[in-house]
Amino acid sequence: MRKRLLFLFIFGWILLLIGDRVDELRVYQGATLAMYTIGLASIVLLTGYSGQVSLGNGALMAVGGYSAALTLSNFSVPVWVAFLVAIAAASIFGAILGYAAARLSGPYLAGTTLALAVGMPALANQFEFLGGEQGIIFDIGMPPARFGDEFTLYKWYFWIAALTALIALYFTSNVLYSRFGRTWRAVRGNALAAELAGVNAGRTKVLAFTVSSALAGLAGAVLAMTISLVSPSAFSLALSFSLVTGAVLAGISSLPGVMLGAVILVAIPEIADVVAHRLGDSENVTTYLPSLIVSVLLILSVIFTPNGPGENLRKHRKKHA
Amino acid sequence: MIGKNRRKRSWIAAAVLAAGSLVFTSLPAAHAEVGVTSTQIKLGTTLPLTGSASPGYNKLGDAMKAYFNYVNDNGGVYGRKITLVIKNDEYLPNLAVAKTNELILKDKVFALVGALGTANHQAVANAVGLGRRGIPDLFINTGFSGFANPKQYPTTFTVLPSYAMEAKIMAQFIKENYAGKKLGLIYQDDEFGSDALKGFAQAGIKFDVTVPYASGSQSQTTAPTWISKLSAGGAEVVVMFGVTSASGLALATAGALKYTPKWILGSVGGDATTLRALGVPPAVLTGQIGLSPVPSPADTTDEYVKLFQEVNAKYNNNVAFDNNVLAGMNTAMLTVQALRAAGKNPTRKSLIAAMKTKGSTFVSSALVPLNYSATSNVGFNGYWFGQYDSTGVMKPLATGVVAYTTDSGTGPVVKSTFKRPAMPAKGLPTNS
Repeated sequence: MRKRLLFLFIFGWILLLIGDRVDELRVYQGATLAMYTIGLASIVLLTGYSGQVSLGNGALMAVGGYSAALTLSNFSVPVWVAFLVAIAAASIFGAILGYAAARLSGPYLAGTTLALAVGMPALANQFEFLGGEQGIIFDIGMPPARFGDEFTLYKWYFWIAALTALIALYFTSNVLYSRFGRTWRAVRGNALAAELAGVNAGRTKVLAFTVSSALAGLAGAVLAMTISLVSPSAFSLALSFSLVTGAVLAGISSLPGVMLGAVILVAIPEIADVVAHRLGDSENVTTYLPSLIVSVLLILSVIFTPNGPGENLRKHRKKHA
Repeated sequence: MIGKNRRKRSWIAAAVLAAGSLVFTSLPAAHAEVGVTSTQIKLGTTLPLTGSASPGYNKLGDAMKAYFNYVNDNGGVYGRKITLVIKNDEYLPNLAVAKTNELILKDKVFALVGALGTANHQAVANAVGLGRRGIPDLFINTGFSGFANPKQYPTTFTVLPSYAMEAKIMAQFIKENYAGKKLGLIYQDDEFGSDALKGFAQAGIKFDVTVPYASGSQSQTTAPTWISKLSAGGAEVVVMFGVTSASGLALATAGALKYTPKWILGSVGGDATTLRALGVPPAVLTGQIGLSPVPSPADTTDEYVKLFQEVNAKYNNNVAFDNNVLAGMNTAMLTVQALRAAGKNPTRKSLIAAMKTKGSTFVSSALVPLNYSATSNVGFNGYWFGQYDSTGVMKPLATGVVAYTTDSGTGPVVKSTFKRPAMPAKGLPTNS
């Protein structure tokens, strides 16, 4: 545990050094990467460790994003308070959802969460205080003056997002290696056997759902910060799907893999851009290629490496070790 | 123990990968102005190329590009060729922010020109911090009067008259021509529409029936509800204050339901070619009232229209020449003058300064003056009214082309005395 803390500390230090040496675009992508890392951790925790499939992470992120944005725009509080509110709101929402979800499994649970991902963002158009299609501005203000003029807003986003992601990862890895993580895995492996061993499967699932929702809510708030607003289209179905794809590609039950998954998700639009440019910059190609790549990757990876390429790599190494 | 080691190794591998991925570019050279080289000036714009608001507006970008290419083939701006990077924001604020970030960080454009959409652009200006970072944001296609505040948006310049101006001028027109009639209004329920409401209130016009619609909610199912509300309220004159896709639906549905008020189409949603393409029958559009700051795109006796049509034929695949193509080229012509006015070695600062000191002298096809000054960020300040004929061309009313001008505040609506300057030779600006 102390080793993990030390490791994350050193990693954070390295990120800080890198953040000073790359251009603004990479710094901004770094903030997005951190956001995806948290979002993926939420899926890995839920699906990989507790065995529940959720396609509705976008909706949970929306809960976090909107509650953080409302907090920030109505009360002048520091951004971390807004993040805490996002965590609280999303986990309450997740707990309620988890109660319903604990009775469902497999495709039924996936279907329920999918419906949530479709319906939830549209709610913003129904209530005026949620700002409709144009959403709510999420303004965290300028970076502190003592960092100097050279310190850009993007770097400020990156610092906050990266720090948040590191703390979230540290927390998640501790939870996963604790008693809770073990019982989640036990329930995932064989719910009946786990119950015989004295584990309350239902309660375990609800708890996993709650913790996962808290992470998703935090990711939503970080997303809102990086794009400076929340709006229904920011939490689209495409976001939910790309998160699932990222998690599958990274290895659904591997927490370190989430960083790799996040890198892939950030890289996809870049790759799509290059390909679209090669294909002559047709508008339809540019608009739809990223989603196409996400879908194709998901299908391919489910067919060939159901547990993610990361998993295969590990097995391969084991065989040759 | 082995498991633990492997776990640690995979943590390290993942960490190195994540960190490494951040470093694959080197720092850019810091001198020279962003987006300007000895041979090129790079500009960017965000437009709805797909999505609910795209019909018509998706032609703006290519039209601007076409005129830039025409200028490029004739020597460019002091020898530099203009390139325009067009990004699709689908009329969604979050995408507009993301794409503008891309334009600035990745494409490293010198300035933004001709971006479209009130809600979008408000999100962009706030989120990207254009003003704070001194990034010029020229000739945006929105009439939201909030952008007229140079303190809040020091680098943003609108090209359209404000919606408040448009509403005030419409109100004047209604008072002069339709006094005593029952009035209806369809408007987009966001800053775009609320700005118009302010203008109408300022002019003292009251509508008997009002139909707000949420941006993006216009559809085959919602349009009939608008029409039945208007027709139940007995509106005889209906003002349409929305995007073209919404006015297209309103007109087509009214036609199908045999509801025939006199329509006054706001400039944003009044492009005849797009309306026709959206399925509005010619009979429904004929005789309706529209207003525009620029001449009718079908008026080939106008020297600007004639030139733009030639450029369209040669550089824009000869697409259907409509208001959007005309507006795009008009904006591009203004942009070229702004770049020239910014000097032989333009900087973002000199471009902003040029807009403020020389912006009002730029020539364009418009029949109303430009209002840029040290204290004003607003472009055109008025409109002329016309009537659509059976071919969709907006023809002057019996009184001829009469332009009205006003301000966004409490000022009166007056008949304009503006005389448009002659077009520079071949439509190539020579200002400095």
